[in-house]
Amino acid sequence: MRETVAVAGTLEDTELRRSRAPLARRRFGTRLYGLLLIAVLLSFWEVSSRLGWIVSAYWPPVSTIFAAAITQLAGGEMLTSLAATLRRAAIGYVTGAVVGVSLGILLGRSRLLRIALLPLIEIVRPIPTPAVIPPLILFLGVDDTLKIFIVSLASFFPVFTNTLAGVATVDDTLMQTARTFQTGWLRTLRCVLLPATLPAISAGLRTATSLALVVAVLAEMIAGSSGIGYYLVQMQYALRPDLMYAGVLYLAVTGYLLNRMFLVLEARLIPWMGKT
Amino acid sequence: MPGMPQQSETRSSISVLGLISPAVVLCIWETAGALGWVNTILLPRPSQIVQSLFELVADGAVVSPLIHTVVLFLVGYCLASIIGIALGIAMAMSQVLYGLFEPLVEIVRPIPKSALVPVLFLFLGIGKATMVVIVVLAAVFPILISTFQGVRGLDPVLLETARTFQVSRWRTIFSIVLPASLPMILAGMRVALGLGLVLVILAEMLAGEDGIGFRVLDLQRAFQIREMFAWIFVLVVLGGGLMLLFDMIERRLVPWRGKT
Repeated sequence: MRETVAVAGTLEDTELRRSRAPLARRRFGTRLYGLLLIAVLLSFWEVSSRLGWIVSAYWPPVSTIFAAAITQLAGGEMLTSLAATLRRAAIGYVTGAVVGVSLGILLGRSRLLRIALLPLIEIVRPIPTPAVIPPLILFLGVDDTLKIFIVSLASFFPVFTNTLAGVATVDDTLMQTARTFQTGWLRTLRCVLLPATLPAISAGLRTATSLALVVAVLAEMIAGSSGIGYYLVQMQYALRPDLMYAGVLYLAVTGYLLNRMFLVLEARLIPWMGKT
Repeated sequence: MPGMPQQSETRSSISVLGLISPAVVLCIWETAGALGWVNTILLPRPSQIVQSLFELVADGAVVSPLIHTVVLFLVGYCLASIIGIALGIAMAMSQVLYGLFEPLVEIVRPIPKSALVPVLFLFLGIGKATMVVIVVLAAVFPILISTFQGVRGLDPVLLETARTFQVSRWRTIFSIVLPASLPMILAGMRVALGLGLVLVILAEMLAGEDGIGFRVLDLQRAFQIREMFAWIFVLVVLGGGLMLLFDMIERRLVPWRGKT
């Protein structure tokens, strides 16, 4: 599985099926124009800034952005901020995912819990995440707790909804078979329910991955004291666009790597994942 | 529980029995506030919030920020849908366009869109156009990707049949490709709906000019907690309303798709 899977689940297969031998050349060939396009855009950016076609302090040449990004590698505020953000995003993500899967399975299996909890969850779900930050500041302060809570809240919903939908589609015969053989609930969960629901859970987890990063960054922007989101806003106020763009660059790389990592893990752990 | 009966069961239970638990929570919340178990300054009672809400609606203060937010969101969302669907179909059907845009999409897509808000504020200045751009950026990628997947996942027999009968390219797109990939397109648009709303609220908070997002943050900083909760309630209604509307449209457009 390659990164195109994120864009297209079936693209790679169709290409593979069509012709096996010239695949590498072909893939490079089709992308050549795209890579050229990016090169053209970047050089246009560089030239327009160097030659003063666009006179703006906020339009630094691309080369200075890359230079700033490389300088920060030697140790600087940017990467420590990014690490702090990632730590909070990770804790929040895992918490939200665990709660989401557990509640999804519980509510999927129990009608009573569904009646009791689903309406409450459905009421909270449509609230845009940034809107719950101001009230939560009153209760949780602006520290780690707030941001971790926000990230877990945002990650919870896609995981929960997908798990719930996944449980609903589990073949009833499977569950009845387990019941016939008087399989214990833990074993039923581990051997029947989870494997059958895993593709759906995984789809929810993937949505939550990108969401977690978005939300971690925005929480730091609104209730900032540290982290890359706060750093970006500070650089906006400090009129240091080069550092700001460099920060976005690092975030883009992080987002890309996370997505890539997710796909590799998914392919490794859920080989029976259906092609969507 | 098998698939079909469970759906109707959940739907009806949401409508009638589903009212029980929110009502219980509201009662507990109200009494907890009335008996002084929680600080009503930080967490006003529901009745107090409703009162503030009435005042908001009665003197018409709710109208201008609501329109501000809704218009920015809808303009951005519609633009993102058009761009996403058009580009998705184009990239899925033409290998040249795929090669041209795939690297660019793959570079911009993984950026957490919230990080782009300060960047775009610097770049384009704080204003309505910038906010629309932010919504477009947030919403376009889920739509683009699901459209692409939907079109690529189409039964090739459909397209080959069209080719056999020499149906023109445009007619193929509008009569075969678009309807057949509609469920996938709508799935992407559903994700984009939530994301776009998140980003428009964030942008309003950071821009500090107008809109519901600005109101919520501004009132929190002014420590007018009741009014703040009233505005959040407006957002609940707005977000929930948009989702219900989306569900209705989806059911109308794709009636053969049983479950949401």
